[in-house]
Amino acid sequence: MTFQIKGKSIFLLGFFSLLLVGGLTVTSAGEVSAEEAMPGKPVYEANCAVCHGVQGDGKGMVCSNTTTEGGNMPITTFARDFTVGVFKFRTTSTGCLPLEKDLMDTINNGIPKAFMPSFVDLSEQEKKDVIEYITYFSERWEDEDPCEEIVIYKPDYVGSPQSVKMGEQVYKDMKCWECHGETGKGDGQKAAELKDDWGNKIVPFDFTSGDLKRGTSAEAIYITFSSGLDGTGMPSYEDTLKEKERWDLVSYTLKLMGRK
Amino acid sequence: MKKLILSLIVMALVIPATSADARKRKRYEVVDVTSGGSIVGTIKAAEKVADPVMKVETKKPEEVKLCGAEFKMNKYLIGADMGVQNVVVAVTNAKKGKAMPTENMVVDNVKCQFVPLVGIAYKKTKYVIKNSDPVFHNTSIGLMLKGKRSTVYNLALPNQNQVIEKPVKRTGLQNVKCDAHPWMRAYIYAAKNPYAALTGADGKFEIKDLLPGTYKVMVWHEGFGEEMKTIEVKAGEATTLNHTFAKK
Repeated sequence: MTFQIKGKSIFLLGFFSLLLVGGLTVTSAGEVSAEEAMPGKPVYEANCAVCHGVQGDGKGMVCSNTTTEGGNMPITTFARDFTVGVFKFRTTSTGCLPLEKDLMDTINNGIPKAFMPSFVDLSEQEKKDVIEYITYFSERWEDEDPCEEIVIYKPDYVGSPQSVKMGEQVYKDMKCWECHGETGKGDGQKAAELKDDWGNKIVPFDFTSGDLKRGTSAEAIYITFSSGLDGTGMPSYEDTLKEKERWDLVSYTLKLMGRK
Repeated sequence: MKKLILSLIVMALVIPATSADARKRKRYEVVDVTSGGSIVGTIKAAEKVADPVMKVETKKPEEVKLCGAEFKMNKYLIGADMGVQNVVVAVTNAKKGKAMPTENMVVDNVKCQFVPLVGIAYKKTKYVIKNSDPVFHNTSIGLMLKGKRSTVYNLALPNQNQVIEKPVKRTGLQNVKCDAHPWMRAYIYAAKNPYAALTGADGKFEIKDLLPGTYKVMVWHEGFGEEMKTIEVKAGEATTLNHTFAKK
C-alpha cells in the first residue's frame, strides 16, 4: 500500500513537473507574457508610468523638476530609472538591493522634496504587486539574494549638547564639509562637479534647507550615513564609523538643519 | 479523492519553488578539466596614439602637493611592436570549467590615483579597498552601462591606511571613481568564470584550461572600446585570437 502511494506520488510529481516545464517554455519563448500577466502591471501603469515610464526607464511624460540647492545651485530631479537597478533609499548596506519594506516606505511616504507623491491610498495588495512588478525592470533582482537589514536603535543621547559637540568633530574628521560645506550649506570645495549614475548633475545636500528627501527623523539620517546613497556621490560610512559616532553625527546634522 | 489531495499537495510544493527559481540564472559549475584547450594572442593598435595628460584640479593646498599638477594617463600603453597593455580579454559564456581563482582584487588610492588602473576580480573573492593617502577618498565602483552606471559599492575612506573589504557579487565591466577627485579612474572586470586575462606590456595574453567548445570572447580597452569575438577551442590545443584596434 505504502509503495503504491509512493509510486503514485512519483507519477504525479513527474506529471506536474512536465506540465510546469511546458508552461515555462511557453513563457520564456514570449518573455513579455510573464510580465503582462503580473497583477502589478495595471497598478504601475495607472500610477507610476506617467513619471517612471512604461519601460521603467524614468522617461515618463512628466519626468523632471528643477529647484535650487546649496545656496543657489540649480538642481533637476528626475523620476527614478528602475532599469539601472540602483536605489538610494534602503535600510541595507551599500551595494545591496532595497528590502520590500524600503520600497513600501517610499510608496507610502512619497519623496516630497523630489515631487514623488505618496501612494498610501493604494491597497496593501496593490502596493505589493507593484513592488514585484518594479523588480522586473532590472536583472539584479534575479541575480542577487536579499541583504540583511541595518539595525536602527536610536539612543537617548541623540540631540544632547555633548553628542552635538562630538558630532561636530566627526563632521570635521570624516571630511563631510568637503562636499556639504563648513556650515552645512552644501557648498563645499568638492560640490561643483558631481554626477549620479544616471549621468545627471547632482549637488550635495544643503542641511540648512531643512528637509531631507527620505525624511528628517534621526533614524532617516542615521540610515543615510550607514547605507550611503547608492547612485550618488554620498558614500557609506558603515565600515568607517562606529554606531556611536554615526549617532553623534546625526545630532550635529539635526542642529545644522535647525531641528534641535 | 486521495489523488486529488495528493496532486494539490504536489502542486502547492512544486509550483511556488519552481516559479521563484525560474528567474534565477544558472551559476558557473566547477568540473575537472583534463587536456583542456587555451586561447592565446596579441592585441595590437593600428597606429600609435599619444598618451593624454590629465590636469589635476583641486583648490586644496595639501592636495596640490600630494597629487601633483598633472599626470600621464597611461591610457594608451602601446609597445614597440604595437602591442597594447591593459586590455581585458574575457570569455563571457563559459558555464563550466576549472575552479575560480581565489586572489582578491586590491584597489588602492595612491597619490590621488587608483592602483592598479585595470584589474580583474572574480566572483566570490573580495575587493580590498585601501586608502594610502592622507586625504579623503571615496571609492565608488559601478557597472558600466550604456550612458549610465549601476553602483556596486560606494565607500568612504577618510582615513589614511584604511582598508575595507567587500565581496565581489555583481559581474561585468565596472569603473571606479572618486567623487572627491573627478580625475581619478580605474576599471575592473568582475568575472563570473575564471577565464579572463589582462594583456601585458607586449599586448600578449593567455587563457588556459578551457573545456572544448565555442566561446564568446570580449576584448575591451579603456580608449579603443569593446569587440566581441567567437572562438572555437579544441581539447589540448591553443587557439589564436589576435585583434588590432583602430583608433576611435
